[in-house]
Amino acid sequence: MHGPSTLRGRDVVSSKDFTRPEIEQLFTLTTEMETRGDKYRDSLRGKKVALVFVEPSTRTFHSFFEATRALGGEVMPMSDPSMSSLAKGESLHDTVKMLEGYGADCIVLRHPCRGAAKYAAEVAEVPVINAGSGSQEHPTQSMIDLYTILRRRGSIDGVSIGALGDLRFSRTVPSLSYLASLFSGVTLYFMAPTTLQIKPEVELFLKSRNVKYMRIEDPSEIRKTLREIDVLYVTRLQKERFPDPSEYEKLRGSYVVNRELLSYAKIDVGVMHPLPRVDELSPEIDSTPNAWYFDQARYGLPLRMALLYMLLGGEE
Amino acid sequence: MMGEESLLVRKIDWGTVIDHIPAWRAGQVIRLLGIDHLVNNPEVSVIILNNVPSRKYGRKDIVKIYHYYISQGECDILSLIFPTTTINYIKDWRVEKVKPKIPDKIVGRVRCPEVTCITNKEREPVKPRFTVLKDYGVVQCDYCDSLLEFSKIPEYVIG
Repeated sequence: MHGPSTLRGRDVVSSKDFTRPEIEQLFTLTTEMETRGDKYRDSLRGKKVALVFVEPSTRTFHSFFEATRALGGEVMPMSDPSMSSLAKGESLHDTVKMLEGYGADCIVLRHPCRGAAKYAAEVAEVPVINAGSGSQEHPTQSMIDLYTILRRRGSIDGVSIGALGDLRFSRTVPSLSYLASLFSGVTLYFMAPTTLQIKPEVELFLKSRNVKYMRIEDPSEIRKTLREIDVLYVTRLQKERFPDPSEYEKLRGSYVVNRELLSYAKIDVGVMHPLPRVDELSPEIDSTPNAWYFDQARYGLPLRMALLYMLLGGEE
Repeated sequence: MMGEESLLVRKIDWGTVIDHIPAWRAGQVIRLLGIDHLVNNPEVSVIILNNVPSRKYGRKDIVKIYHYYISQGECDILSLIFPTTTINYIKDWRVEKVKPKIPDKIVGRVRCPEVTCITNKEREPVKPRFTVLKDYGVVQCDYCDSLLEFSKIPEYVIG
């Protein structure tokens, strides 16, 4: 990496907290980690990264785990809350203090409560990375998402992103919206029924940044909207969120992405998904050039290596 | 500064009078101010006047607090919900009128409306904190980002 890290010692709580140059520096280093990651293999030597996952996770947990080890750091995992003191009713405050006492140099936290990462960052003296805070945010996922767009499309400026599915309870779509607002000419389409539409705080943020966005609530409008977008960001429509199950059954078909639905989109539309998927994204897409989601998952490792390096291992 | 209501209760030598409260909202004002601690102060009396005539607003409420000055900071929250409210500090029978200012932050006075917010979690030693976004008529939780309209703040007052 050229020049000192702009993120050294910082918390990663919200995608709202970053500037475009910081994100561009992160992306440059991510590309370097992809190709010449070996060069950094001792850069976290002697550093301990605590992974506190109070909610289930596969990709995020393992990519932080592997990223720390790839940089020569030591992992302090706490991934089974039922086996930890949190299960005995210990507060998050005390857990954070305890981990600092054991020498953690950074705390990666996934927690079911909104605001948990912000609070942990206030309690901790070491950097806290938000790995998912309830339905609020998942900033490192949004960094991976935009990096994927950059790698596959060549540029983030001017991109039209259509988010489809359960946007109300999604933590990835708010973070993606906040981070995308740093780039110019971005348009966001939120495709979801009224009850699962994007949260008001996200809309308020986008208005304050003059980002162009549209809510698409009528399922019959989805096909028309697909013509406008460069990236289709799919999230799961969760049955349990519907007060009336028949409403779910009625809408379900409109929110399943398959070859038939994609025939209405631009030929080179990129399909993304934070994974895991259930049945909202048909496996018949997997073999098409439109499937960006496996690359998206793969970039999780180099991006988190770059982020950890910038927070903990960068030049003083 | 007093009109007909001065006939109902005696004048105040020193203390605070909260005037121009919308009619029948004095109870909410008391809750918003969080002045329950005055219960242990033998010098203080609080008189609530409901629905008294007002030249400006037709009807209004007044809260008179004898022998206690409420700080301006404590009153600022009123400006979000009841913007007509004025604060009168009485010193030796003389009146000093103050308009509550819109605060930048509300700390420890209002619960977050989002049930999954960390500030609503038991055993966490954290005070709820909101940023006032006056252009949008809302406050935003500093922790979980949830929004709360000014008009709904009384429903979430702590205490």
